[in-house]
Amino acid sequence: MKRKLLGMLLTVSMTATILAGCGGAAPAAGAGGADSSSPETQTSDTAGASAEDAKEADTQDASADTGSAGSGDSTLTVWTWDPNFNIYSITEAEKIYQKENPDFKLEIVETPWEDMQTNLGTILGSGNLSQLPDILLMQDFAFQKYAITYPDMFTDLTGSGIDFSKFGPGKLGESTVDGKNLGVPFDAGTEVACYRKDILEQAGYTVEDLTDIDWDKFIEIGKDVKAKTGYSLFSTQAGSADFIMQMIQSAGGKIWKDDGTPDFVGNEILVKSLETYKELFDTGVMDTGNSWDEYIATFTSGKTLGTINGCWIIASVQADETQSGLWSLTNMPKLSGISSATNYSNQGGSTWVITSNCKNVELASDFFAKTFAGSNELYDTILPGCAAISCWTPAASSSVYSEPIEFFGGEKIYSKIADFGAKVPAFERGVYFTEANTAIATAATNIVNGADIEKELEAAEETVNFNMGN
Amino acid sequence: MTEKNKLIIQYIVLIFASVISVFPLVWMMIAATNRTVDIIAGKLTFGTQLVTNYNNLIANQDIFRGFMNSVKYSVIQTLVSILICSLAGYGFEVFHDKVKDALMALILMSMMIPFVALMIPLFRMFSSVGLLNSTLGFILPSLSTPFLIMLFRAAARSFPAEMIEAARIDGLNEFGIFFRMFIPTMRSTFAAALTVTFMNAWNNYIWPKVIMQDSKAQTLPMMISNLTSGYFTDYGALMLAVLITTLPTAVLFLALQKNFAEGITGAVK
Repeated sequence: MKRKLLGMLLTVSMTATILAGCGGAAPAAGAGGADSSSPETQTSDTAGASAEDAKEADTQDASADTGSAGSGDSTLTVWTWDPNFNIYSITEAEKIYQKENPDFKLEIVETPWEDMQTNLGTILGSGNLSQLPDILLMQDFAFQKYAITYPDMFTDLTGSGIDFSKFGPGKLGESTVDGKNLGVPFDAGTEVACYRKDILEQAGYTVEDLTDIDWDKFIEIGKDVKAKTGYSLFSTQAGSADFIMQMIQSAGGKIWKDDGTPDFVGNEILVKSLETYKELFDTGVMDTGNSWDEYIATFTSGKTLGTINGCWIIASVQADETQSGLWSLTNMPKLSGISSATNYSNQGGSTWVITSNCKNVELASDFFAKTFAGSNELYDTILPGCAAISCWTPAASSSVYSEPIEFFGGEKIYSKIADFGAKVPAFERGVYFTEANTAIATAATNIVNGADIEKELEAAEETVNFNMGN
Repeated sequence: MTEKNKLIIQYIVLIFASVISVFPLVWMMIAATNRTVDIIAGKLTFGTQLVTNYNNLIANQDIFRGFMNSVKYSVIQTLVSILICSLAGYGFEVFHDKVKDALMALILMSMMIPFVALMIPLFRMFSSVGLLNSTLGFILPSLSTPFLIMLFRAAARSFPAEMIEAARIDGLNEFGIFFRMFIPTMRSTFAAALTVTFMNAWNNYIWPKVIMQDSKAQTLPMMISNLTSGYFTDYGALMLAVLITTLPTAVLFLALQKNFAEGITGAVK
């Protein structure tokens, strides 16, 4: 009997400990008030609660869960990723804004882009927009998709006091829908070409020979360099059409018809890009990596002597400090035989969004107006700090941009990039950009393996139309 | 073929298989001691960058907080989950009738519903009752799993009915039989369940990512994901983080290895 009693007591105490453990364990800081108040009671409440009750609870919890309850309206929650880049930049912006507004505070939740998409999908899918943060960072290639599919999640910033005229039109276009500004442009993905000077010299070339040229000339030089040194000039990632999209954008091309359907078959610029891509591959002037890591390895560990990508690739180029001084930076080659072709394009970049759930839009807009859209001090700090290239045009005239960079043999790469950035043609990505990218990537792989370009483009167009439900 | 030759071939095949299975682990350890450029270049020898990688890692992520969060969520989930599922599995077998068997079939069928399909409704429910960023919110969806119930039901099947009868005659009540006879006898099953549940909780990623919207509530797998999100990935620090994340589950598995194999096959001691 004694033993039985002991067993019972043990069980009860074990259960109690466990439940107590759950109850007291809400680690939320800002959300402390609402969350830690005995979740057990809340669960049992819900069991009997009707849907309406739950909905009411939604709104009550909302302010708490987005992380700023109790700390007043001057704390804004931000979802963004990369402590060395985005988080660093917005923290610097916070410091600058705090000089005038000491109460202002940002609560930054590190959220990788892939996870943010899951989170946004869940929140938007559940229709419970009150769980959105005040501010989030969005990749430019996905901006139009979210802006058109979920217009409710954005705050329209037109006329909010942020001066959008100071941003380049190409970049601003990414976050503009029907003339409304839905975001504050942040970093640029201006296309750059980085080459190893030392290896080029072995083959008797300089970076000037690869500047302001077209792909025909590039392939000619590339074949010679390959024969003399064994190096390819650059590489791309297999199975991705990012590079082809960069070529299309550089020539001011498009991939959508006016009615929004894919414009692949008979698209002169797209066909020319694919032909060039195949020739680059066939001649061995371009190497390919099967994954992102392999792609990076091609130029950091010596299969190719260069890379052509968005300017953020510089961080990977600079990873091996033993190569300092050996690199040089210039623009990309342009498509030959296309009248609108340029040597400038863009890959990636991101834009800040003030969500529709922002509890103090005025404060958030003012913060952006005085930092990312109005502070030379900010860009002067974050350029040397993390190589964030500004899209805010006044920043480019700052002296920091003309600092020589040792890794690139003392070249003033940032003023070069800012100069390139101003010349990038606009490019309409549309809602189904990812689908188009995948379909063209498949086509490109087949074309490289000898398939007919027109047939492949027909198939790609059909795939995208199917994805769009046409 | 002689016996000896057969043995040699067996050994060659087994050595080959072992190398394939162990290689990723060894590579992870090697990578944790090397620079990113060396890792990408495919260096396969131990380097000297462990301390640098460690410093980079702690400068980038609050790995201690992540570790403590992971331990807290996983331990609580494992204990509660095993208590609930073992009682359920035992009950389904020992007191089974037609209705309970049908219910069991229904529970098993729920195994076929992928978690992503439940995510949005679960998020709606949890956010409306304020369970975001809480331990309860973390553990609740996976407290009772069909797999564990099935495992304990199978274990209960091999638990001799005569023993239960004898215990009843001796005056032990049903909870007494469960706690004082079933649990000690089925130690290996519990060890197996412990390993599986702990690993699942420890590696759980998508659900915590959705409900843990506060940086202070992030777990280790979430921090690993954070490390890969930048324009530049520090593979040295990343591999060290993966190593740190793998260690607790590896230690637990090695400690309970013998019981694990027995438990999964349903042996009675």
